[in-house]
Amino acid sequence: MAGTEWEPKIVAFCCNWCSYGGADTAGMGRFQQPSSLRIIRVMCSGRIDPMHVFNAFLEGADAVLVTGCHLGDCHYVNGNYKAQVRYQFLEEMVRELGLEPERLQLNWISASEGEKFANFIRDVTAQIKQLGPSPLKPEGVN
Amino acid sequence: MVGIGDKLLGYATNPDVRNRGASGGLVTAVLAAALEKGMVEGVVVLKRIDEYEAIPVITDDVQEVLASGGSMHAVPVNLTKHAVGRKIAMPGKPCDVRGVIEQAKRNGVDLENTYIVGLNCGGSMHPVVTREMLIRMYEIDPEDVVGEEIEKGKLIFKTKDGEEKAISIDELEEAGYGRRENCRYCTIKIPTNADLACGNWGVIGELAGSATFCEVMNEKGKRLLDNAIEAGFIEVQPADEKSIAIRNKVNSAMLKLGDEWKGRLLTEIHDQERLTYYIEQFADCIDCGACREVCPVCTCGEDSKCTMFHSLADNYKMSMYHMVRLLHLSDSCIGCGQCSDICPVDIPVTTIFRRFADPAQKKRDYSPGMDLQRPPFLELMLK
Amino acid sequence: MVKESSVKETEAADTPRIGVFVCECGVNIGGVVNCRAVADYASTLPNVATSVVNKYACSDAGQSEIKQAIKDHDLNRVLVASCTPKTHEPIFRACVEEGGLNPYLFEFVNIREHCSWIHMQDKENATKKASELVRMGVSRAQLLEPLQSTVVPVTNKALVIGAGVAGMQAALDIADMGYKVYLVEKNPSIGGKMAQLDKTFPTNDCSICILGPKMVEVSRNRNIQLMTYSEVEEVEGYVGNFRARVRHKSRFVDVTTCTGCGSCVQKCPIEVPDFEFNEGIGTRKAIYVPFPQAVPLRAVVDRSVCIDCGACIKACQSHSIKMEQEETFSDLEVGVIVVTTGYDIYDPEPANDFGYGIYDNVITGMELERLLNASGPTMGKLVRPSDVKPPKRVGFIQCVGSRDKKRNRYCSGFCCMYALKDAQLIKEKYPDSEVYIMYMDIRAPFRNYEEFYDRARDMGIKFIRGKPGKVSEDRDNSVIVRVEDTLTNNIYNLELDLLVLSVGAVASESSERVRQLLKVSRAADGFMMEAHPKLKPVDTTLDGIFIGGVTQGPKDIPYSVSQGSACAARATRYLAQGKATTEGITVEVDEDICVGCGICVPMCPFQALSLADGKLAIIKALCKGCGTCAVACPTGALQQSHFKNQQLFAQVRSVFTFEGE
Repeated sequence: MAGTEWEPKIVAFCCNWCSYGGADTAGMGRFQQPSSLRIIRVMCSGRIDPMHVFNAFLEGADAVLVTGCHLGDCHYVNGNYKAQVRYQFLEEMVRELGLEPERLQLNWISASEGEKFANFIRDVTAQIKQLGPSPLKPEGVN
Repeated sequence: MVGIGDKLLGYATNPDVRNRGASGGLVTAVLAAALEKGMVEGVVVLKRIDEYEAIPVITDDVQEVLASGGSMHAVPVNLTKHAVGRKIAMPGKPCDVRGVIEQAKRNGVDLENTYIVGLNCGGSMHPVVTREMLIRMYEIDPEDVVGEEIEKGKLIFKTKDGEEKAISIDELEEAGYGRRENCRYCTIKIPTNADLACGNWGVIGELAGSATFCEVMNEKGKRLLDNAIEAGFIEVQPADEKSIAIRNKVNSAMLKLGDEWKGRLLTEIHDQERLTYYIEQFADCIDCGACREVCPVCTCGEDSKCTMFHSLADNYKMSMYHMVRLLHLSDSCIGCGQCSDICPVDIPVTTIFRRFADPAQKKRDYSPGMDLQRPPFLELMLK
Repeated sequence: MVKESSVKETEAADTPRIGVFVCECGVNIGGVVNCRAVADYASTLPNVATSVVNKYACSDAGQSEIKQAIKDHDLNRVLVASCTPKTHEPIFRACVEEGGLNPYLFEFVNIREHCSWIHMQDKENATKKASELVRMGVSRAQLLEPLQSTVVPVTNKALVIGAGVAGMQAALDIADMGYKVYLVEKNPSIGGKMAQLDKTFPTNDCSICILGPKMVEVSRNRNIQLMTYSEVEEVEGYVGNFRARVRHKSRFVDVTTCTGCGSCVQKCPIEVPDFEFNEGIGTRKAIYVPFPQAVPLRAVVDRSVCIDCGACIKACQSHSIKMEQEETFSDLEVGVIVVTTGYDIYDPEPANDFGYGIYDNVITGMELERLLNASGPTMGKLVRPSDVKPPKRVGFIQCVGSRDKKRNRYCSGFCCMYALKDAQLIKEKYPDSEVYIMYMDIRAPFRNYEEFYDRARDMGIKFIRGKPGKVSEDRDNSVIVRVEDTLTNNIYNLELDLLVLSVGAVASESSERVRQLLKVSRAADGFMMEAHPKLKPVDTTLDGIFIGGVTQGPKDIPYSVSQGSACAARATRYLAQGKATTEGITVEVDEDICVGCGICVPMCPFQALSLADGKLAIIKALCKGCGTCAVACPTGALQQSHFKNQQLFAQVRSVFTFEGE
């Protein structure tokens, strides 16, 4: 791969109803994005287990994104509020570990916000390119 | 009849029990009375093997309870898990009580059936460290020791030939001995979360050494005490203002000292170095699972999310097992130190846990093991 | 559809044989991603039995290929790499089911919206990414397990809570479709807010004249069991199997013998303001018949003011007055619940909006309705409260309590129209009066509404576009309104005999109580929330519970009636089928691992989890499959099927590859 620019691997957990739909809408709007993103679809952001987030880091993710419906819009009443409670602690944990805080981000994106989704991915990718590969990435993996 | 909130001085009526107890044998007598009168089916007692080892057992023999008095500072065992699933009474350091309450939040313990007589605790010592300290600091053969006590900030050991040697705890701790690290910065010294909060702080004058200060914390505590008085096992009298003031003073002095120790032991690690620090600390982990086994707030059985990573985590730069444990228990960690004590490869598990748990609990004004009504914040109920 | 018996029983233990179908979607994917290369790469992945490119996987031809491949290659997992599961997952699930597989053994990989369409200029990386996405899908597909949705029986009765016009419509429709309906109303009479109105826009029909016959129809319908003066106290269960406890408050009148003649009312010496029906303007007795057209037309005693003089008992010829009557309870078993609990009128008093509550001659729109009504406290004579004289100059302020960031942000929708209506009625009755409407925007969509607005203008009603800044009172109790017309920038100091506040709707306390009983979600505006704002406007996120009328948000009469019918139609689907199929993706608990810590229980927003004898019990019919409880579970005993921990781990793991030093 000599000569080509390093492309980070970003894992995004998306809820079926909103943020996954936001990614779809970004595609339908042909909002071009870097090819860094890998989406893991779950039904609700309430299903995003901090354990899976850490696991993604240890598998080699340069950044992990937690996304879901806007607060108040959850299809399962309040799954995103629970996601938020968990995320807040996760964020504190990432900081205490000494991992750069940019590597874990939360965003509420509705199914109609395609452009927002695309901008988010562009921004995160640019930030991570600046930071370089994650210090938790196993040797030789990408 | 005593009332909730009463602060009393009391002692065992049986002179043997009164003498053997560290301060008047009240705790022993209250536990024995609860068993005698059928309030509980068993009592948790420490079965002494030697100065550095004791095994918690549950007994239904009143005589065994009465014979069990006396404190053991070098046996830092946590009694929480002995309360699981039984109708018992138990003595408990603040961390024992906190463990029981955390278990109750997770349906591990039925608090209605568990009577806890709390004991003031300034800290306990690791047996291995204590032996080493005896050789290096006291120049005593650990096997010659027959008893220990703490008086006026000094740790005193008695040998079988009747000699006593005292060294100030400060001096011992400066030299790296003395109390376990987590005890030095522990924030609960008086077990106000127990049914009764007992200890010798505030016992002054001629009663010093032969009576216990006892605060009735709740309805169960009242029942325990009323029962023991009615059974003729103990006698109590109200504590005077001076006693109460001294108890508070000792407590706040201990807490202040604890804060200082926290600053010294949980020193800040620079942003750039923290990740390396954690990676290195966990690198030695052999996935034995012992820290999980002894954790008083963990209710999991043999299988749990953390152990899923015992075989998987081959190429990971950091232990997923410990990450998952941190995710699950940072909100509930009571800093009892069991995990550090047990670790066969000497990972300072408790210290690491506290680095995550301390700021998180503080931020949410959450103190685990103190109030049954407050759920762990990571599992909080949303309005 | 294939019959159930021919669906191949696929055990998780089977060695996976995965068929990969890479769709070109014409040039949508094929124009950017080298689909052949992706398919070739997929064929090198473990357990992939066949890997091919389709022109259009979702077309008949594409689907036939998939079904044929299942037979030819003995596939037990199918992966399609094409567009989004949001639109096409049901199609492919049905396709693999027709091919003989359990529909949940299908894995969808999105290489169009998430790849070809967003990397149009970078074909090489798009192809690389598509291959990786397929790799992730393949590792997940290996671990997929067949799932079955559960079928629960449905009790073929309905409960309708709230007998306003929406609830009456819902009850009538369900009853007319042949099912038993319990219609519960908290007030002594059905009819709701519509019964209080004078006329209805845009036709100006008399409200009670069109509602009355419908109320009678409800009371005569043999399939409807009417429970007035009753409230739902408890609800438990799930779709098809709800149990509701209804409290029947004591009326102190035997409804089976009372004739509603009113003799008792005449003799009663206690007179109090009538807040229930006349907005506190008129009076009623301690024993009263709610209104002349009430259904049931029966008296009711207000014991909070009754002095137990016994005059009514003596007056009653049918001996219907029973002061010893106690409240009773009914336990109902129903399959579906329709909630039409309505709303409250916004109350301008606490904040003294525009002087309401301070100045006598500032009233609300609903008070005006009662003043205009021929059977109202003034027999339809419009008077101003301070001196009971007919007002010559009347003003309306629009959007009181609505479209206001400090009150309620939403538009209540019907206030423009009722102000137009009331203004016209005043003009019709008193042609020489002056009527002003002070508004921000006039909202008049739907048939004949804009025309109705035009008519008001033609009648000489004056419109001032502006929200008044200040309201004060003159010496003769006239109200002075200072308002700027933002169209002309003129500032007026209007001297009015009567000022009407066009108040909107707010979520009612009694609705909120029912909402909490049923655990229906609440929208930001306080009203109950529908399952989907466009496509499921009367459904809730709870199966078998429907919301209609203003319960869901402010709306006018025709819209409320439509929603009542909509609720009936949606609800009756369950009653007609006699069974309900629940979500296939649910949570499951491994009892060997579960320690009964109960941390998951409060996580479930649908009350599907409970502890029984120290073990977790799951009511599958209540589970919606969000999986949030599975996250809380510390042991991993609780798992969301189709999104199990191992399935997600595998998917994440295969994002990455070892590329060497």
